[in-house]
Amino acid sequence: MTQNPVVIVGAGHSGVAVAAGLRSRGWEGGVLLIDAENELPYERPPLSKELLKDGASDESAVLRKEKFYADKGIDRLAGVTAESIDRDSRTVLLSDGTRQAYHRLVIATGSRARPLTVPGAGLPGTKCLRTRDDAVELKRLLVPGARVAIIGAGYIGLEVAAAAAARGCDVTVLEFQDRVMSRVTSAPVSRHFEQLHGRHGVRFVFGAAVTSIDGGQRAESVSVADGTVFPADVVLAGIGVLPNQELAADAGLECRDGILVDGDGRTSDPAIYASGDVTRFISPIDGTSQRLECIQNAQAQADRVAAHITGQAAAEPEIPWFWTVQHGVRLQTAGVRHPEDQTIVRGEPSGGKFSVVYLREGRLAAVDTVANLADFRAAKRLIAQGAWIDPALAADPAIPLTEATSGTPNHSDADLAAARS
Amino acid sequence: MSNTSMSNTSMSSTAMSSNTLTVVDREGVTHDLEWEPDQSMMEALRDNDLPVLASCGGTASCATCHVFLEQDVFDTLEECSEDELELLVEAEGYRECGSRLSCQVGFSRDLNGVTVTLTPED
Repeated sequence: MTQNPVVIVGAGHSGVAVAAGLRSRGWEGGVLLIDAENELPYERPPLSKELLKDGASDESAVLRKEKFYADKGIDRLAGVTAESIDRDSRTVLLSDGTRQAYHRLVIATGSRARPLTVPGAGLPGTKCLRTRDDAVELKRLLVPGARVAIIGAGYIGLEVAAAAAARGCDVTVLEFQDRVMSRVTSAPVSRHFEQLHGRHGVRFVFGAAVTSIDGGQRAESVSVADGTVFPADVVLAGIGVLPNQELAADAGLECRDGILVDGDGRTSDPAIYASGDVTRFISPIDGTSQRLECIQNAQAQADRVAAHITGQAAAEPEIPWFWTVQHGVRLQTAGVRHPEDQTIVRGEPSGGKFSVVYLREGRLAAVDTVANLADFRAAKRLIAQGAWIDPALAADPAIPLTEATSGTPNHSDADLAAARS
Repeated sequence: MSNTSMSNTSMSSTAMSSNTLTVVDREGVTHDLEWEPDQSMMEALRDNDLPVLASCGGTASCATCHVFLEQDVFDTLEECSEDELELLVEAEGYRECGSRLSCQVGFSRDLNGVTVTLTPED
């Protein structure tokens, strides 16, 4: 291997982006990607969307073609995991028994599906969705007439619900909260998507605390706390993710529900970086501690890491953003909403195209856009600027969002105090 | 094709499996690339280290791969989808007869030798 190897553990969006970023920034030392999976690193967003569609290929688009890695001098070890880090000798022990020296180590191990812990969770027919293999397996089970119970009404659960309904399955979503996507959006958006799914035949049960998966050889039903039993041929758990931080934690790096990193992606060991879903960091925008599960963050952090390793300045990161597509309807979110933000609905949800803007102390903090990419794009820019918004103007969809700004804060000190209390 | 770093002369004088693409970056510097048949225009730009973020992976969700095409080339392309158009009209420096998301421009022999200009970043 070339001198000064940067060893990257994990070949998801962030790991691959670190490797590509090092080369595009002129890094001349070695670059080695350690990939737990066997095929070329691939795109993940399609796994819960396009790939599940009837007649779609089992392949998911690759992040980079094979030739790219060869051309750029990026070495890949496929089907191999990192078992432990020896920080004193700066080596990583790999699952194939070899030991790999590093000049810099980047941990980009991502996240895994949070496992269901109820009795019966291990029965065949109970799935989660994280990898391409998961998606291909799930697709085979989504046959017409199959009874599909989905636990959790977040992005993954709802995207699978939409795909399953489209394939003619009988779909029930069991959600502990009282509305869909409650963690990531406000009630008007939740209501809109609940109704959208309802029109496609998806049933929702809110306040449902799953107590067990029951069956003989395989999952046959799901039981909830009030005693109701939902027959199911397929059970999908979409109840969030856990950061794959064990490699870092075992090596004594600081972790707290995510590997702690600074603005350059550095962990508590200056020779070791971390990037993507696995990290926790202080948001430069609102000062809160965050773990962001999105492509935007995976790429932005990768750029910071590559920039720092090569001694260059990183690009200004985009505002965090997220998207989901359900029954062909696109929801795009920019910024990270807080539940206490002022919520303004722009447009009529029943028309199918609207936005919800979130103001924090008078400034645009986040936006949800439903089939409304113009607002998404405008809002992303306004959030980055910390623009003050006039709530009355913002509520009028006939006025472009960029013209709904106000030169000064639009609220009195009394309003502010009330908003904070 | 085994040769990965061909000179411009041999690319233009030989019938190649790939197209050539001339890219004007944000500093006005010109780059000549090979555009391979299995790449979208965005992928050709990104994989040749041009600063195209493409943060949605090519699904017309983000507009970070916005480019300007010359109008005569622009006019030959299929029309934008509604999503693409909505993203473009809000983009910095949008041109009605020139702006495209490069992820939505597929490889075509007709696009051999075209010039693409990277747009200002928002």
